[in-house]
Amino acid sequence: MAPLTPYTYIQCPCSDVSPLSRSNDPNSPSTAGADDEERTFDPRAPRSNFSLYPLEYLLYCEDCHQIRCPRCVAEEIVTYYCPNCLFEVPSSNIKSEGNRCTRSCFQCPICIGPLSVASIDSQPDPNLLAAPDQAQSGTNILICSYCNWSSTEIGITFSKSNGIHAQLAKIRNGGAPRLTAKEHKEKRKEEAAQSRLAGASSPESEQNLDVETQFANLKSFYQGQLAESSSGGNGLSSLGDLGFASPNSLSRIMSIYTGGSLHDKRSRSRVGTMREALDSDEGLQLADLDESAAISKLQSEGYEATISTDQLTEQPPRLEDAHLHGRTRFTSELRPIPYLLRTKRSKRCPVCRHIISKPEAKVATTRFRIRLVAGSYIPTITIRPLNVPGGASPTSPPDALVPLQPAQFLLTFRNPIFETVKVTLATPSKTPGRFPSKVTVLCPQFEIDANTDVWDEALNKDDTDKDRRRRRGDENNNGGNGNGNGNGNGNGNQPEAGKIWERGRNWVSIVVEVVPASLRLDLLASTANLAGGEGIDAGPLREDEDILEIPMFVRVEWEVEGGGDEVGSAPGKDKEATEKRELAYWSVIGLGRVGQS
Amino acid sequence: MSRRPPKGEYIETDTGNKVARKATLVGTQNIMLGGKTVIQPEVMIRGDLARSVPPTSSSGGAPANNTAVAIGRYCFLSRGCVLRPAGRLYKGVFTYMPLRMNDHVFVGPGSVIQAASIGSHVHIGARVVVGELAIIKDYVRILDDSIVPPNMVIPSFSIVAGQPARVIGEVPEGGHEAFELRDLYKTVGNNPQPAPS
Repeated sequence: MAPLTPYTYIQCPCSDVSPLSRSNDPNSPSTAGADDEERTFDPRAPRSNFSLYPLEYLLYCEDCHQIRCPRCVAEEIVTYYCPNCLFEVPSSNIKSEGNRCTRSCFQCPICIGPLSVASIDSQPDPNLLAAPDQAQSGTNILICSYCNWSSTEIGITFSKSNGIHAQLAKIRNGGAPRLTAKEHKEKRKEEAAQSRLAGASSPESEQNLDVETQFANLKSFYQGQLAESSSGGNGLSSLGDLGFASPNSLSRIMSIYTGGSLHDKRSRSRVGTMREALDSDEGLQLADLDESAAISKLQSEGYEATISTDQLTEQPPRLEDAHLHGRTRFTSELRPIPYLLRTKRSKRCPVCRHIISKPEAKVATTRFRIRLVAGSYIPTITIRPLNVPGGASPTSPPDALVPLQPAQFLLTFRNPIFETVKVTLATPSKTPGRFPSKVTVLCPQFEIDANTDVWDEALNKDDTDKDRRRRRGDENNNGGNGNGNGNGNGNGNQPEAGKIWERGRNWVSIVVEVVPASLRLDLLASTANLAGGEGIDAGPLREDEDILEIPMFVRVEWEVEGGGDEVGSAPGKDKEATEKRELAYWSVIGLGRVGQS
Repeated sequence: MSRRPPKGEYIETDTGNKVARKATLVGTQNIMLGGKTVIQPEVMIRGDLARSVPPTSSSGGAPANNTAVAIGRYCFLSRGCVLRPAGRLYKGVFTYMPLRMNDHVFVGPGSVIQAASIGSHVHIGARVVVGELAIIKDYVRILDDSIVPPNMVIPSFSIVAGQPARVIGEVPEGGHEAFELRDLYKTVGNNPQPAPS
């Protein structure tokens, strides 16, 4: 079984208001009693999946004083850029050219590795290559250096080494020329002009239409049909058009209420008003049901020549070709994939609309103009197994927790803000779920000192070390243990209720004791019988049900002076008196897997 | 701390580099370390694979800079990783291209790096292969066992995994500090400090 590294997830308050509002009550008890059981947050509930985030993913709104998660922030795109050439793409180009890179950035259709342009001239001319900005003439191909696919496999070569996207748009697989969308549009215009002049359909209208032309034909055809039918009369003839604002619907409704010779009219108008498209001029495309070519190709080339669903879905939409109806089945039909563009996005608070994260617009920079992350406002929680002195072995594998045997963990809370904070923790005495483990937080209420300047620590490293030791001695009332490295291998350190295990400049460690539940199903059934009558699910162990997760309600209180928020990017409020701030949220502490006996 | 061998496991330089005695550094005159970089045992850096032709004929006035591997500050090369400059045809002649690595780059154990450039604050997991002349920008996390294809460009704030590697996610705003390697630097060397809890 894979070992599990301890983790902490924090619930964003956006997800579920009802259980939180109750717990937000300032009079809520510091430790949840057994009667509080059903009020507590269940990390295993299916909903919890969507509201729990690691601290790094959370942002913090300075105006609302609340945590914001990726699910509740509003995103705005700052910049579009190609992830391969890192060129910025103006948003006007997105509208005209689409959301893919139109330079020479392609992904391999087989393995999605990047494709590079290579010259396959038999003899590279050093004089020619000396001028790299001058477009090379000769034969160029796209080649994937991961799987060695090259564009010669689909019969495509390029005459120039730059502007591959434009060149590729004009070549079909196999090398035959093809029309781009723009050319199609022009051709359609020409055809329309011709047909208007000649009054007859153009000779090549029977051939396969590309998707855009087909759609244009269909649209014009049905618009014509609608116009005809609406002019043709009332009745229910125009069921295709259900818009309430159209005069058609109005006339239909009127005809219902006016009565009269409605039936005759209806039957008369129904005939011939809405007919379907009949030829390719009207957008009809007959499906090509003759698959003998595909079958023979499959017989000759075998499984190797076919493509996977993943490869098919990676393919860009081909509006310039005839509709394939998912008929791309062979690797010879794949095309190089232009890179999808990527974005830089700024994030806004959903409530007050203030920007809480804004990257620099330039692609090359990694700086942020505004970056209000939750990690600089709320305490970070790190978890470490505590090896109690006198235990069997200090190096016992912490991966699997032994059922029914008490285990102790050290939770370290690190205060990121420049004020002393008061932390109150609350956990249910038994974790929710089918296998309730007992949880005891030995010190559910403590204060963490302010986060002073980082330089203090760097400059007075020895001092803080001593400081740590001294404080620890104070807290535990049994000074004299020299090794303050937190492993607890000094002799006199017994975890004690109501006492902090260890504290430092801006952090505090406390001990949490758990008694993991036994995962045996027969025990589960017997305890259920003893408890009497409760419908307990005695099904087999579900996925990850052996992970010991503790829901923990964390309440942080601190006092701020006027405008005392730590990161000064939000407009400072001028409050002179100290103000009490409070932040409360649910978190989930994942300790590890419980071993199965 | 009482056990202090006469000759430490690491050679600590004036600029704070900690180079394991058991690391294999070939062509040391072509390897530049920015300072405070940790090189663990069994690491191999191929400094001998230096550029064999001068970079450009036009700027020939400057003395030829033959750096094969340039490493910034606070980089951490874990046990058994290999830094190997990649080669390619340049003007019809085969030459090696320098491997540049910026600050705060972590290279996991057993990884093979043949990139052209690696930005700063990059975390490369264990057993990763970074293909020839790949370009990795800043704040990139490459998960264990990935294979980054040759010539791939990984933009900033990407989480990358797979064989071949693809961008599978974005580094969240709050995750930038996790790339800092200052604390990790202190935990190794001849006089290691415990990791801050």
